[in-house]
Amino acid sequence: MEPELAIAFPAVGAVITAILHPRPRAALVAGALLGAAGIGAVLLVAPGLTSDLLGVSLAISAMSRALLLVAAASLALIIAFPPPRADREVLLAWGLAGIAGMAAIAAAPSLDLVILLTLAIAILHAALGGRRSLAARLRAPVLAVALLGVGLVFARLDGSPILARFAAIGLVAGLAAALGTLPYIHEFDPEEPTSASPIAWIAFLGPILALAVIMRARELIPTAGAVFAAMLIGLGLLNVLWGGLASWLTEKGMSAWHYSFMADWGLVLCAFGILVAGGQAAAVLLLFGIVLSRLPLYLWSRQSLRESIQTDRPINLLAAAMLAGAAPFAGFAARLFLLRGATQLFWPLALVIGIGLLLWLPPSLRLGRSLGTPRGRLALGVAIALSLSVAIGIYPQPILSLAGL
Amino acid sequence: MAGCAGRPGIRGHALIADSFVTAVAAFAAWLGAAAIVLADGRRGLGVGIALVAVGFTVIAWSDGVWVGGAFLLVGGAIAVIALLRAGPQDWGLMPAGSTSRLILAVAGGILSLWMSASVTTGPGASLRFASLAVLALMAGRLLQTKAAVPALTGAAGLSIALAGASQLAPNDPGFAPYLIAAVVTAGALLLPAARSHGT
Repeated sequence: MEPELAIAFPAVGAVITAILHPRPRAALVAGALLGAAGIGAVLLVAPGLTSDLLGVSLAISAMSRALLLVAAASLALIIAFPPPRADREVLLAWGLAGIAGMAAIAAAPSLDLVILLTLAIAILHAALGGRRSLAARLRAPVLAVALLGVGLVFARLDGSPILARFAAIGLVAGLAAALGTLPYIHEFDPEEPTSASPIAWIAFLGPILALAVIMRARELIPTAGAVFAAMLIGLGLLNVLWGGLASWLTEKGMSAWHYSFMADWGLVLCAFGILVAGGQAAAVLLLFGIVLSRLPLYLWSRQSLRESIQTDRPINLLAAAMLAGAAPFAGFAARLFLLRGATQLFWPLALVIGIGLLLWLPPSLRLGRSLGTPRGRLALGVAIALSLSVAIGIYPQPILSLAGL
Repeated sequence: MAGCAGRPGIRGHALIADSFVTAVAAFAAWLGAAAIVLADGRRGLGVGIALVAVGFTVIAWSDGVWVGGAFLLVGGAIAVIALLRAGPQDWGLMPAGSTSRLILAVAGGILSLWMSASVTTGPGASLRFASLAVLALMAGRLLQTKAAVPALTGAAGLSIALAGASQLAPNDPGFAPYLIAAVVTAGALLLPAARSHGT
């Protein structure tokens, strides 16, 4: 199966779902069928095999394929068990558009194309509308594109060895700006629809973009590989600290969720900086956790956050445990891999990360409570998200094998 | 596509190096980026994006990338037409309080020139200068503006510079970066937000 189909099916699905919006049932059926076809194409594509149907060599790596599949699973979960008062057709249309963009980024043959595709996605996302001005919506992602572009140019210049270090700085700064982590936190309006908010970058598009940038950067600047990894770890620790504390101490519930995504990304950046097998496995599992666990729970908790409902039922405690990365959820396995990798690399780093992990406890309890009391289909959705996380946590090997690890 | 096929990498291509034409084209690209930084009106932004597109097109053509250069030119032309066909038509060059922008435009140019001509080595200094200058100035413009049209024009300039910079790659980048950049350049300024928000 060709990667072109993995891009084309969701893209067409997004357009048709948007066109059929006045007829919701037809829109959902058409979108679901084309989305499923796209995911089928992703599943059947041979990792690393190049296709040249359009005059551009496209190939999807095993890790990108795994992330595309988990993004699709997350979208399916949200559409099947939609948050209260959500417009499922709009969610499906923009979700499919996001998956098409992510597939294009995953399949792009060079970092030039990854950056240009990110710019195209940033402009389309900003044009969606929302409560912030267009310039404000465009600012951080396009700054990210500029920084990545400058990093790429520096990586290709001949001259002093310090140019490779400048390239590493540009690429890491650009990545942080694209994700919306410290020091480039995206302007966040809690009342903005999720599809138009920075959550789309940090929780949905971000994982595949980060993977594309980091994997290509390692090949692009081999002489500055250690600097690049060190910056990822440093920035990661900063986000762990800032995201954890802010998520705990901020007054606004939705902002607490936003900061919790930042804290998770802190761990992911640390994991990508640890260039041993444990670090990469941790990164994959943490990204799975962001897309498949934290994002759906955030969407499901928005209504109870608006109504200022907080409950302390068992399901809230289970959700809190999942968000905190407690055993037997997937986050626990990811944290074990991370600590093992950090110990192999430099044991004091494991100590620092271990202390940082304690910062997940208070905010996770708060976020778990904000889920309210899910009823009916929503309760089923939460149960499925929890079960998936437990399954991955108990036996992560199938996921790691899917990611080529 | 023929123009792109089989094109040798820039490091092995002496012609691009630094002919008078490519040097003028790179200067035009910087001048266009400076105009985008300094202008708030649609005419000023239109001139800016036109100069950026023409500058990178000439650099691409001088390296034998005929189709890629043509894509950039078409994308830039559509963007200019979109800017000039809607909204209030004014220049808006250097409105009150734009001293910091002027400093950004000049300092960005000087720093890029130093970096591309002195710190780095090898042929293609013009392309290095144009790429660095336009990328830096567009980033500055996007951080500074609160209006939709300058932000979208900055994004369009950024896409042209990124496509142009793909020529720095050791391998042939093909036509894809130019095609995507042209679509982004034209598409950004054809968006309803760009047509309805005045400047």
